[in-house]
Amino acid sequence: MDFTQATIKQLRQGLLDKKFTAVEIVNFFLDRINKIDPKIKAFITITNKKALEQAKIIDDKVKSGQDLGILAGSIMAVKDIFLTKGIETTSASKVLKGYIPQYSSTVYQKLIDQDAIIIGKTNTDSFAFGGSTENSGFFTTKNPWDITRIPGGSSGGSAAALAANLCTFALGTDTGGSIRLPASLCGVSGIKPTYGLNSRYGISAMASSFDCPGVFANYIEDIAILTQIMAGIDKNDATTSANPIPDYHSSLNKTNLKGLKIGLPKEYFTDSIDKEVKESVLSAAKELKKQGAELIDVSLPSTDLGIAVYYILVPSEISSNMARYDGIRFGQSKKDASDIVSYYMDTRGEFMEPELKRRIMIGTYALSSGYYDAYYTKAAKVRTLIKNEFIEVLSKVDLILAPVSSTTAWKIGEKVDDPLKMYLVDTYTVCINVAGLPSISLPCGFDSKKLPIGFQLIGNFFKESTLLSVAHQYQQKTDYHLKKAEL
Amino acid sequence: MKVTPIIGLEVHIELKTKSKMFCGCDAYHFHVDPNTHTCPVCLGLPGALPVPNLTACQWCIKLGLALGCTPNKTSFFERKNYFYPDLAKGYQITQFEKPFVINGKIIIDDQEIRINRAHMEEDTGKSVHITEDGQDLTLIDYNRCSVPLVEIVSEPDITSPEMAKKFLLKIQQIVRYLEISDADIEKGTMRCEPTINLKIEEDGQVFYTPLVEVKNIASLTGAQNAIQFEIDRQFKDFKSDRQVKSKTNKTTRGWDANKNKTFLQREKEGSSDYRYFPEPDIPHMTFTDKEIEDIKKTIPELPDQKIERYKRNFSLNNYDASSIAQDINFAKSFDKAIRDNPSSEFSKFTANIFLGSIRNYLNESQDKIDSSKIDPSHFKNLFDSIQKNEISSTVAKEVIVESYKTGKDPIDIAKDKNLIQLSDTNEIEKIAQQVIDKNPKAVNDYKKNPNSIGFLIGQLMQVSKGSANPQIAKEILEKLLK
Repeated sequence: MDFTQATIKQLRQGLLDKKFTAVEIVNFFLDRINKIDPKIKAFITITNKKALEQAKIIDDKVKSGQDLGILAGSIMAVKDIFLTKGIETTSASKVLKGYIPQYSSTVYQKLIDQDAIIIGKTNTDSFAFGGSTENSGFFTTKNPWDITRIPGGSSGGSAAALAANLCTFALGTDTGGSIRLPASLCGVSGIKPTYGLNSRYGISAMASSFDCPGVFANYIEDIAILTQIMAGIDKNDATTSANPIPDYHSSLNKTNLKGLKIGLPKEYFTDSIDKEVKESVLSAAKELKKQGAELIDVSLPSTDLGIAVYYILVPSEISSNMARYDGIRFGQSKKDASDIVSYYMDTRGEFMEPELKRRIMIGTYALSSGYYDAYYTKAAKVRTLIKNEFIEVLSKVDLILAPVSSTTAWKIGEKVDDPLKMYLVDTYTVCINVAGLPSISLPCGFDSKKLPIGFQLIGNFFKESTLLSVAHQYQQKTDYHLKKAEL
Repeated sequence: MKVTPIIGLEVHIELKTKSKMFCGCDAYHFHVDPNTHTCPVCLGLPGALPVPNLTACQWCIKLGLALGCTPNKTSFFERKNYFYPDLAKGYQITQFEKPFVINGKIIIDDQEIRINRAHMEEDTGKSVHITEDGQDLTLIDYNRCSVPLVEIVSEPDITSPEMAKKFLLKIQQIVRYLEISDADIEKGTMRCEPTINLKIEEDGQVFYTPLVEVKNIASLTGAQNAIQFEIDRQFKDFKSDRQVKSKTNKTTRGWDANKNKTFLQREKEGSSDYRYFPEPDIPHMTFTDKEIEDIKKTIPELPDQKIERYKRNFSLNNYDASSIAQDINFAKSFDKAIRDNPSSEFSKFTANIFLGSIRNYLNESQDKIDSSKIDPSHFKNLFDSIQKNEISSTVAKEVIVESYKTGKDPIDIAKDKNLIQLSDTNEIEKIAQQVIDKNPKAVNDYKKNPNSIGFLIGQLMQVSKGSANPQIAKEILEKLLK
């Protein structure tokens, strides 16, 4: 069996049928990582010892006939902002380098409990602040389709690891597009669930009211299985929803595409989108139409305010969330400071990456007295406006179809000197986070440079099952998701 | 020149909930090994999230209701951002725009003191500064970090140090009645920070001196003295520099209890910027009318109501009623003692015992009352015995303390000690006849001089081993010698 193309179910079944062992799977992926990752640089830490330990336990379970977890045999790459007990977690920042967490994030633990095998911690923009992994405190991850290009970010390490066939699935987080953008640029599928579906506990916080943990996988079917495991109320996260979790897997074929209303917001199909990207996304819409869906032109007039709202509210929360990185209880610090204020300044000055400092400053400014009403309060109001526009549109259509990125993957270094240009890469993803809605990004073609193009489906609050079902049926009729970069 | 002090108080109450405000850690932190009651949440580790302690929130509302406040139907937490090593997260979770309860009042000596709000927040850790091997070190103990605090903010309606002290005592009393905190200023489970300035009227003009907030107050006397010191200091300063209050000249001063003076800690209080914003990790909290009503039901009879009841039902005077109600456990013990027979006469009798011998005993032994040692039947028996002249009120005072200490019935104690008065006339008549028969000389003396009956009474008391009721003994002797 080609482990790289196997589904979660196939891997588990293969173990049960004794066609292969978990140790064989792990060794296969470790070999591949050793060969390929030096080119891609998807991983910050490779957890070979832990992976083999887990594999042995799973193989013992098979031998002794014990029940296997749903994810037995699946290889998991974890964005390095998820806390993993006993495994260094850096958030790709020098300020946290060397930090070995005393506890694990809820969603990671849920996956481990189902026998997922962790193969390593993946690169990201430090603390997930960015869209290319170029803000990582350590190195930039390369796009497997063209290693002179960025993989997208911030969960670029996870997307690249999956695109380079270095895992079965990968964990990411999406605060403004950080799962969907790299999924689109690397040609894999990824879900950003409704805010509150998945627990944020144990994931270093970027912007608490936006952050959404999610997952990348080759198949929507796998994403359904993983979301099923990850979702649900967590007593350690007061913002998780108490809604019962539907059976995503069994409803994968249930949404009838015939008569399904799909909205195409005109603000997402303007001329600022690359022609090839636009055509490819529209062809995905046509494919769904062919299967019976009805395409409806809709409008989300406040879309152009999304970036402004996002880059006021998110840095505001960041400025506060980053305060705990003071070098006193964990992470790196400058020990030779003369007093407490210089201790803070030296530690944060030395170990925090430039983008961290930039966002802390923007946020601190926006929250300052005298500016608070003009920035924070106003942005919070516009946030409600954007959300209400989505609610209005989603009362008329079942879901919304839109591009993820206006271009395919760009060259490393192309935008690093212009923070504003970099912020604008999230133009088509941030509003979904501002509103808190679920969205799936999946591949729909390639441009003339053979770089992948993705599109996103946006659903109503907690309607992941509709999204997954439509995305799954799309994948049944197309093969873009099966294409992988040659490495 | 007319000078009126304007005093507002911020009072912090540390709640005695089992767990901390935003995590499951044990909230108890006195004399506990450092950093043993901690977890990722209260240590502010990456990824840790706060989950509010519902009991603490309910207690905050309960306290607010007891202070006559109105609950905000929807309220939310906010972050107060500042750096300090014992503030693990780099921000304190508190309430700002929408506290749980607002607009209350309490009455001190018939004067109303308005309460602006009572809000919920978390405590910080403790920094301990030590010198070891010639090096100055700061050690941090996070056991107290995130222990629930309620902050009560009064309006500046207090006009004297005495009134401030009474206000604090009243808050303390109410908090203890609600059993949500020990409210011990010395231990720091109750803290107060007065803000003081003066209104000065002179030649038809009115001046207000700059606001001063005083910190580091660790006792009730300290609060009173610090306020008095500030009143005097501000008046003296005004006379020399004539500075008046502005938006930027509020200062913070510390109280030095040893030197009995305040000292400047921080200038330009108005310029500090905590960058408050709604805490995104905690959803807004809404309490329904029913939930508020349920919290209201858990409020016991409060001191003012208790005092009124004692006065109305038992005709106790204000002083006695207030004295009993002063301490919740004392009042509870009293209420228990009169539980089975809440008649005016019995209650008054019991009140006298409580305020007399029991309180004296507690003062002498420096003990706190233990209501479990109060047996209503003991008080009832004692009362009945006095009614029947079996026991004198002097004996009653003695045996009730003994009874409180040992748990024995006071009548049994009186019997054991032969302190029961003999009031049975037949019995006394027998003894009287014996005494008359044995003392013919004294009988003769009496016949000459009725005032000499004292000797015969003395003899009778001796024979009865002191148990005869002396009044009855006298009457019987007189009857027999007629």
